[in-house]
Amino acid sequence: MSHPNPYDVQKAEILNVIEESPQIKTFQLKLEKPLEFKTGQFVELSVPGIGEAPFTPSSSHYESEEIEVSIMKTGSVTEKIHEAKKGDIFGIRGPYGKGYPLDKFKGKDVLLLGGGVGLAPLRCLLQTLIHDIDDYRSITVCFGAKTPQDMIYKDQIKEWKNYDRIHQLCTVDECKPQDDWKGRTGVVTVLLDDIKIDPAEAVAVVCGPPIMMKFGTFSLIDKGLKEENIYLSMEKKMYCGFGECRHCVMGGYYACKDGPVFTYDKIKDVEKIWE
Amino acid sequence: MGKFQKGLLLMDKAALAKFFKSVQNQFDIFLPYEIDKDDPDNLMLKKFRNEEKFVINKYRTIDPLKSLFYLSSESVLPSTTKNKQRIIAGVKNCDLLSLGVHDAALLEDDFVDPNFKKWRENTYIISGDCDEALSTCHCNILGHNAYPDTKGEEMQKYDINLSPVDDEYLISIGSEKGEELLQLIKQNCEITEAEKYHVEEVERQHKEIEEKLMQINAEFSPERDVSVVSKVKDAKVWEELCEECVQCGGCTNICPSCYCIIVNDESINDDFKRIRTWDSCQLSGYARVAGGESPRDRLWERFRNRYQCKFDFIKQNFSQYGCKGCGRCISVCPAEIDLREVIKALQEV
Ligand SMILES: Cc1cc2nc3c(=O)[nH]c(=O)nc-3n(C[C@H](O)[C@H](O)[C@H](O)COP(=O)(O)OP(=O)(O)OC[C@H]3O[C@@H](n4cnc5c(N)ncnc54)[C@H](O)[C@@H]3O)c2cc1C
Ligand code: SF4
Ligand code: SF4
Repeated sequence: MSHPNPYDVQKAEILNVIEESPQIKTFQLKLEKPLEFKTGQFVELSVPGIGEAPFTPSSSHYESEEIEVSIMKTGSVTEKIHEAKKGDIFGIRGPYGKGYPLDKFKGKDVLLLGGGVGLAPLRCLLQTLIHDIDDYRSITVCFGAKTPQDMIYKDQIKEWKNYDRIHQLCTVDECKPQDDWKGRTGVVTVLLDDIKIDPAEAVAVVCGPPIMMKFGTFSLIDKGLKEENIYLSMEKKMYCGFGECRHCVMGGYYACKDGPVFTYDKIKDVEKIWE
Repeated sequence: MGKFQKGLLLMDKAALAKFFKSVQNQFDIFLPYEIDKDDPDNLMLKKFRNEEKFVINKYRTIDPLKSLFYLSSESVLPSTTKNKQRIIAGVKNCDLLSLGVHDAALLEDDFVDPNFKKWRENTYIISGDCDEALSTCHCNILGHNAYPDTKGEEMQKYDINLSPVDDEYLISIGSEKGEELLQLIKQNCEITEAEKYHVEEVERQHKEIEEKLMQINAEFSPERDVSVVSKVKDAKVWEELCEECVQCGGCTNICPSCYCIIVNDESINDDFKRIRTWDSCQLSGYARVAGGESPRDRLWERFRNRYQCKFDFIKQNFSQYGCKGCGRCISVCPAEIDLREVIKALQEV
């Protein structure tokens, strides 16, 4: 029996690079062959000969030949990725992990709570939800960033305003008087005061820096959301993406293949999930 | 009786070297040899080059079997596993059981490691019963034997097992590959039928080594409750246990069942390779993510993680413990930390 080499990649050509913020760029990629993924799953992206890192596509899962990935510059590989230009070639493999269980979202109020580059998987999810928007009772989007300059997807945020069913709120931690900012100021959890959902029936999807995920989760529980309805992205250190390297192990779970998305009830007893 | 012949055939001990000599062009052959060292823990795996003083029985080697199946550093893309057939002989039960962990993780799970699979397919394993034990050996307290289970009906991890009886080996066949190898041996050496005496003698030796291991580990209960590794969360307890640890990572590197790796890309001119290299959860950068946060920043947290991995997480993942009692981590540790003592101390908390 022949098995594919799980480390093998296909080529992804950069069609366009969008500067979202000083630290975050979105890469539009054209793939050699379609990469079918489900929203919530991730890929490993590599700069040939330099290294690879895990990222979540930020475009809808209904498009598998051209996908987008939004990447924050934080270290050696992401720095090289940021140097790449239109026409350059990345390696890509995947998808890995389990997607969001969209069936369980149907008929419910769906709340997306995100901060920083954590908006990437949420944009993928939102675009996928929009494709079948009538299936969901309502969609509430709460996005946060450090400053107005750090807020990504500004153009899409404007577009999403056109949907009646989408209720959208944005905040920044701090802004200067000269900034053209019409949203709120304060950490992203302040937005939860203004949302209109039925907590007993709502599902929330949270993605962002660990500290934001922690306080976001606690605020949602305070509001009355059930632990099993809070979906958290666990971005642990990982190399392989499929369960070999063991770096992402959290208790008996692998963040890569059992996640990266977990409901809070499943992992609340695992030690140190927020770090 | 199982599917394959177990303990019915005999061969002369001296004939084994003759067999290896006759097939050394066809196979790369690896065997335990004594190295120059005062310590009794002095066996190392070496390539056979007509040297007849190899050790089939006795006890485990210093180097773990994984160093021949899951190399300390190897290119997985392109996969660089050699196609040449290999025979590894003198393999002990603790290493076979550890190979079972790797089979579960690297072959039978959701993906297949390309190199490990090829090394596995290319290799014939000739195991041997332990007839002596080191002071660090403790397979017995984990419920294992110092010799492979040759009575089981299931597919075995060994292809051929050799139990010593006087100047002969009692042969057990564990797999189709073992049958093939036996045919090759038969072409070169005389194989005879075993008698009742030989079988009884092997059983007597098994009892003897079991008793020896009980003596060595008399302080440690065989029914030890290893779930304490996750139950004891008190930092102070763990800090004391790892006070002397210098974080060298030796314990995980030498462990036959540990398989954590990092993956790196390297480029040489226009070619590039993806290399996987052993890593150690005892090192501080292991779980650190971009941004600098790590779930196990402190030494005691990493120290505890190793115990939790072996006795809790691997159990959850593969329904078996990640420790088979080979004692290598005890022998290697510059801080003289003894895994048996650590568990005992935790049980007494
Ligand atoms: C499932 C998953 C999905 C992800 N999706 C996205 C995504 O869509 N977009 C995105 O931008 N990111 C995403 N990430 C995060 C992304 O993978 C990391 O940012 C990336 O791996 C960093 O790689 P790097 O080589 O640039 O950083 P590295 O060079 O590996 O830098 C990080 C390393 O440097 C060291 N380090 C860094 N900072 C410090 C410090 N302050 N102190 C000490 N040591 C430090 C640490 O050892 C750390 O491992 C995701 C991660 C996961 C697991
Ligand atoms: S071998 Fe000993 S000193 Fe080295 S990391 Fe392991 S426990 Fe610590
Ligand atoms: S943990 Fe120690 S005793 Fe157990 S298998 Fe690994 S090296 Fe051997």
